[in-house]
Amino acid sequence: MKEELAKLADEGVAQAAAAADEASLQDVRVRYLGKKGALTRIMKGMGRLSAEERPQVGALANEVKTRLEETFAARLEFLREQAVAQKIAGEKIDVTLPGRCGWQGSRHPITLVTEEVVAIFSSLGFAVAEGPEIEEDFYNFEALNIPKDHPARDMQDTFYIADEVVLRTHTSPVQIRTMLALEPPVRVVAPGTVYRRDSDLTHSPMFHQVEGFLVDRRVTFGDLKGILTAFIEQFFGKGFGVRFRPSFFPFTEPSAEVDIECVICHGKGCRVCSQTGWLEILGSGMIDPEVFRSVHYDVETFSGFAFGMGLERLAMLKYGVNDLRLFFENDIRFLSQF
Amino acid sequence: MIVTLSWLKEFVDISLPPEDLAHRLTMAGLEVEAVDNLGADLDSVVVARLVSVEKHPEADRLTLCQVDNGSDTVQVVCGATNHRTGDLVAFAQVGSVLPGDFKIKKSKIRGLVSMGMLCSEKELGLSEESDGIMILPAGLAPGTPVFEALDLKDVRFEIGLTPNRPDCLSVLGVAREIAAMTGSELRVPQPRVVETGTPITEQTSVTIEEPDHCPRYLARLVRGVKIGPSPAWLARRLEAIGQRSVNNVVDVTNLVMMELGQPMHAFDFNLLREGRIVVRKAGDGDPFTTLDDQQRRLAADDLMICDGVGPVALAGIMGGQNSEIQEHTVDVLLESAYFAPNTIRRTSKRLGIHSESSHRFERGTDVNMAPVALERAAALINEVAGGQVCPGVIDAYPNPVKPCRIWLSREKTCATLGIDLDIETIGQLLRGIGIDVENDPSATGEGLLCGVPSFRPDLERDIDLVEEVARLNGYDAIPATMPESRAMITMPQPHQLLVRRLRDRMVAAGFCEIVSYSFISPAAFDQIALSPDDRRRHPVKILNPLTEEQSVMRTTLVPSVLDTVARNFSYRSLDQRLFELRPVFQRTEDGSLEPTMLTAVMTGRREPIGWANSQENVDFYDLKGVAEQVLRGFGDADLEWQIDAGENYFHPGKSCRILTAGKLLGRLGEVHPMVARNYDFEAPVFLLEIFVDTLLELDLPQARFEQLSRFPDSFRDTAILVDEDVPAENVLRIIKKGSSRFVEEVRLFDLYRGKGVPEGKKSIAFRVRYRSSEKTFTDEEISKAHSRIVRLLEKEIGAEVR
Repeated sequence: MKEELAKLADEGVAQAAAAADEASLQDVRVRYLGKKGALTRIMKGMGRLSAEERPQVGALANEVKTRLEETFAARLEFLREQAVAQKIAGEKIDVTLPGRCGWQGSRHPITLVTEEVVAIFSSLGFAVAEGPEIEEDFYNFEALNIPKDHPARDMQDTFYIADEVVLRTHTSPVQIRTMLALEPPVRVVAPGTVYRRDSDLTHSPMFHQVEGFLVDRRVTFGDLKGILTAFIEQFFGKGFGVRFRPSFFPFTEPSAEVDIECVICHGKGCRVCSQTGWLEILGSGMIDPEVFRSVHYDVETFSGFAFGMGLERLAMLKYGVNDLRLFFENDIRFLSQF
Repeated sequence: MIVTLSWLKEFVDISLPPEDLAHRLTMAGLEVEAVDNLGADLDSVVVARLVSVEKHPEADRLTLCQVDNGSDTVQVVCGATNHRTGDLVAFAQVGSVLPGDFKIKKSKIRGLVSMGMLCSEKELGLSEESDGIMILPAGLAPGTPVFEALDLKDVRFEIGLTPNRPDCLSVLGVAREIAAMTGSELRVPQPRVVETGTPITEQTSVTIEEPDHCPRYLARLVRGVKIGPSPAWLARRLEAIGQRSVNNVVDVTNLVMMELGQPMHAFDFNLLREGRIVVRKAGDGDPFTTLDDQQRRLAADDLMICDGVGPVALAGIMGGQNSEIQEHTVDVLLESAYFAPNTIRRTSKRLGIHSESSHRFERGTDVNMAPVALERAAALINEVAGGQVCPGVIDAYPNPVKPCRIWLSREKTCATLGIDLDIETIGQLLRGIGIDVENDPSATGEGLLCGVPSFRPDLERDIDLVEEVARLNGYDAIPATMPESRAMITMPQPHQLLVRRLRDRMVAAGFCEIVSYSFISPAAFDQIALSPDDRRRHPVKILNPLTEEQSVMRTTLVPSVLDTVARNFSYRSLDQRLFELRPVFQRTEDGSLEPTMLTAVMTGRREPIGWANSQENVDFYDLKGVAEQVLRGFGDADLEWQIDAGENYFHPGKSCRILTAGKLLGRLGEVHPMVARNYDFEAPVFLLEIFVDTLLELDLPQARFEQLSRFPDSFRDTAILVDEDVPAENVLRIIKKGSSRFVEEVRLFDLYRGKGVPEGKKSIAFRVRYRSSEKTFTDEEISKAHSRIVRLLEKEIGAEVR
């Protein structure tokens, strides 16, 4: 019986190795290890063995069974791997065909820039405020220390709706509305649409600004420089020079125009910066005491600064857009680039 | 304001190179917008002598000249007629580049070689206009560069001045700034007049009836002048800063204005009736003709310079034709006055006249410069036009202006600027710009008592002086700091969050955002066929629009969006998905409202062209899908879609209103074919409008999590035949009605008409998904539940199972 078992084991191993696929291996397995398989058949003869032989043969039979099971399992794994390998070998697609695609939507570049500016100032602790575009003369001019008959009104050609009602010429009226509603400390940015009666290659009768202001105790011109420098470095990246130079706005004193080293030519002088090497991007200053008076803030206790910038200009510099009119033409070929 | 370096140097020594000077001025608040080096690149334009001038053999209007350029004699063809043999001329040699990037090349003109060009003053950038070529004064050496020979090399600075700095609207004012920043001494002119003849007071008088509007008026009389062209230096000086030369007397008044900032006026004394001056309001008068030949309708309030009878000048703005200096004028009355800024501004604005004179008066001139300027002008007229200056000056100055004195605290200066400056430094800086600074021993705290000079009307308060200190000390010197922070909540407002969310969803749905003008044409309401009684036809109007096309504030975004579609069609963009998310403007009884609208359009292909993409065009349901997606979370469980948007710009059978709980959220559908025709659309366009502010009013419950079932689902698909006119909504409603609580989802997945379906019927297939959170259903249980739904459909709408 021992010889029989040994022979069976060798045969089984050989047959497993010869099985070419999973199905024939299964047949082999049934033939040797199935309920009616060869091993069972041999084991049925165990009863005829002597008491001494039985454990030995039993042990041998178990050994044979284990050997066959392991062989079959290994063969099965091999055959499966082989089958997958074969299948893969026949499967190859053209990965260079373009993917199935849908339409790509986009935000308007002015929206993108607005969101970025607002995000930067939010991180600096500024809340966002909004105000009406049809505005009263009081908020747009009077409260900002721009009385009627003041030459500063020439700086802003105004669309009138009625005697005392205008299309706001800047986002600064939001400053007044906010200060009338809130006590200091306030830190607010106000993005919005503004209008000036001017239309040519470099002026659009409608455009966008962000106004910002901060009022608290002991706010200095140095703080204005700090906040705006931080903003510029974040928006344009570090490495561009920034300069503050004296200017005039009726609602700030001292006032500063903020220039950044030309982002196109890095200060060498080019068409975009009119050969000056500098780009004017922001107007700013310490809020004028007259403005505080019109919103009933205590001039002795509080000080603050305000600033405003044109978003079209920022977008033009950021994205290299060379024609202001593109923003309002809404050509899909333009919009889909953002 | 334009100034030249040579002129500035008459008042202050300047050693800085022009570019550095420009930078310093800019950083001091006088923004230099351009620096022009006059004649810098024109060294190849030389003095040349005309050896011969003959007629061009082939052209009557051209001359053939032999030109001695100092080293050679060359041939030049010239089109001018004012040159003669022996004249010295400005000769641009081959290779020169004249202003305006005009390159001079060797050329053949009517068959003859021309080796350069004889130049006019205009071609050399020396004047705005010129007659013929420039004939140079005798005695110059041929071959010398023209700009050098005439001493014309100069630097021109164009300064963009802010309205608060009228003191710098003069060469002297700019020189004063330069002196302050470089520490050089300012040389203030002290003109001397030689007087002869009868004293002025015996010949004329000045009466000021309106001392509030005209605080000071000075006059001088110069008799026996000879009007003629200005000498070259005078004409050049004016032309170099962009002023046209008129005649010697007028040029002197302009020169003095540019030099000292004091506008002057010269009257023909013999045209002044009764030979006297009265300053008064216009009152009710006849139209007045100004120097520029324009008839001006005066308002009673306009301040006029009058003679004994009537107006002779619009005070501070422009002279009158009736008293103008003419060729035969012999006696000149010179005016040098100070007018109240607002007075001048009101009239100049109302009449739309903006002159160099009004520009200065309305910003504020220097009341103490008026007498100096008068002396300067009288002396100069005497020099360039001859005559005699009558002894004496009339100086009508009823209430002399008191100098303004301001207390400036050191502490406030430093606290505002964020920099530590000592009192000596502050005083020194202010003294540099002519402020009279003294310590006030009676004052508490460290500070200075500052006497503001009359040429700085902008300095009225201590904060104005703080700015001067900052400016003079340099903004660069102030360190950048971060403000002491008090934390605040800076979350966006609900409206801002909503707009952002809607925009995100539109972009995710493949739409491009547009931004169009808020003002539209009133004709747009007809173009979108608004009914005559629609309140959107009553927009907020702009009183002074740029054009009729931009004259009313839009009450709807539809015209802007449809215009954009049409424009993109014209650019051959046929597949469009666009949206605008901005306010519209509604007129109310006492003002206006600015509710936000979301308006979207869709036209063209459903998917981009692609090997595996659908090539079908979009229809109503594409946009409805977008609406469902965008409105998800806004009461979508009970959104209603009611056929007919009820707007003339929608196709009534292919549009609907979107409602929730009786509130109108929006509309969508195909653009009405008649409106589409108005915009020349070449394909169907689908339009969606959402009232953003209404979404904000919805009471939206906080989203809650629902337990997930651990048991498997089963589904049943059923196709039914129903009458054609049964809306899908009814079918879905009945399915819902017949559903047990275990129905997880109902989907309508097929709609079919045609073969196998009788005429007048349609086949609708739906899938119901069942699932319990407590157990696995048996087949029988599912079938039982499903057949209840089917029976209800059969009963309520006569559905037949296919």
